[in-house]
Amino acid sequence: MVHLGQYIPRSSIIHGLDPRVKLAAALVLSIVILKGDVLTQCWITAFLLILVPASRLHPGHIRTAFRPMLFFLGLLFFVHLLFTTGTPLPPFPPWRVTITYEGLYTGVFVIWQFSLLILSASILTMSTSPGELISGIERLLRPLKRLGVPSHDLAMMISMALRFVPTILDELERIREAQTARGACFKTGPVLGRMKATASLLIPLIQSIMRRADALAIAMESRGYNRGPRTYMHELHMGRKDYLALLIFAGTMGLEVGGRYVLSNGFG
Amino acid sequence: MIRVENLFYTYDGEETPVLKGITVEIPQGIHLGIIGPNGCGKTTFVRHLNGLLSATRGDVRVEGMSIKDSSDLYRIRQLVGMVFQNPDNQIVGMTVEEDVAFGPGNLRLPAEEIARRVREALAQVGLESYGDKAPHALSNGEKQLVCMAGVLAMKPRYIVLDEPTAYLDPSGRKRVLEVVQKLHTQGITIVHITHHMDEIVGADRILVMDRGRIVMSEKPGIVFSKVAFLKNVGLDVPEMTELMWRLQKMGNPVRTDVLTLEEACRELNSCLTHAKSPVGRPV
Repeated sequence: MVHLGQYIPRSSIIHGLDPRVKLAAALVLSIVILKGDVLTQCWITAFLLILVPASRLHPGHIRTAFRPMLFFLGLLFFVHLLFTTGTPLPPFPPWRVTITYEGLYTGVFVIWQFSLLILSASILTMSTSPGELISGIERLLRPLKRLGVPSHDLAMMISMALRFVPTILDELERIREAQTARGACFKTGPVLGRMKATASLLIPLIQSIMRRADALAIAMESRGYNRGPRTYMHELHMGRKDYLALLIFAGTMGLEVGGRYVLSNGFG
Repeated sequence: MIRVENLFYTYDGEETPVLKGITVEIPQGIHLGIIGPNGCGKTTFVRHLNGLLSATRGDVRVEGMSIKDSSDLYRIRQLVGMVFQNPDNQIVGMTVEEDVAFGPGNLRLPAEEIARRVREALAQVGLESYGDKAPHALSNGEKQLVCMAGVLAMKPRYIVLDEPTAYLDPSGRKRVLEVVQKLHTQGITIVHITHHMDEIVGADRILVMDRGRIVMSEKPGIVFSKVAFLKNVGLDVPEMTELMWRLQKMGNPVRTDVLTLEEACRELNSCLTHAKSPVGRPV
């Protein structure tokens, strides 16, 4: 089943925060991670490692977030390792390739960066339900309405897309079974044949999605939907704890900048 | 009251109208059944009741407001709720609660009011504890109840049900019909399209539609006594009515204005008692 970052329901301080605070923090963190140096990485690693238990997430949860990314991380590491020019390391006897000191350094640094990005994104999505995330995005985009960004419609579209993922997967399974029952083969046989068989799934699937979309539009219209502003059951409110969290986050980032200044210039 | 006056409707690009002059009054509080063969225009007709379709000729007035006046549509859609066949194609929320909140959100109600209505609506359909559940984890019957809660949260006076049990298993069907019955006793007007005659034997009135026209508008007892007429249109009668009708055809002196199992039992019992007693009819 597909879920957005596999929300893990818990009652933690981080879960209880306004989604806007978490979204903003994740955004700032991503920028800082991508722009920062080793010192920044150390600082942010420490910060995120405190956030994991603060969100009552187990190392196992984090592992599930990393598992699908492992191949990508490995690839990233080897590309940097093998294709960076610079001072060669002492060659290992069995290897024909030259590995540079810079290559090793960048490789490690880049996967560290990406791991931090994955970590911060998974803390966000694991501690925030899809519904909260969407209303957070919607609320953050609302000021852009004057520029013609239809934030309500966007939020509606994202939430409906997520709502229909399982329905459409079920539908695909039904179509596949119906065709298997009539002798189609999706698992064995020549590759070309299998590709053709898979393509033959798409047409009925698209047709069914279109029919659904039609019925859904009528049902939504019947329930009074139109492209105007609407209200929500859970309107977001920034409470004291949310401002406090923002302050702590800003402080953490500030300390990082301050610390770097002190380290490079001394106290003088 | 909903007044339908000489309603004609032709789909874009077609020549022959689907609805050919429908006139009917739907008073407040009634339970109205609509039956008719496929393609007779039932769905097209009810989609006019909250302005999803706009009459080609004639008019529909909901409490005096015309569906042709787009400024009233908003209010009409709040007054006339609609539940469709396939629950999967009506649910828009990622959770049950969020879906029920969709209608009130469109009415731009404040957050606390939406929360209260969602709670009440879910309680009315018996799904109080389902608020956080994901719709795809529910049975079809439960999904259809969520759809009904979504309509109830808008506090409608009329609910139009367009074959609401078509996708449901017997137990889901039973639960939905129980809720329909309950809402009717609370004073909500029910307009109920169905192919299952048993579902509307308790209705106040039944409209029989055929080829874009209303061909009969009577109490269930009268409608279902016209067995030959209904069969000619391509419709069934309730199973018990059919049973009595066939028995009568075989020469048995039974009444045919029987709709439910209880009535059939009573009628057959009295016939059999007569047959057994010495003063009864000769066997």
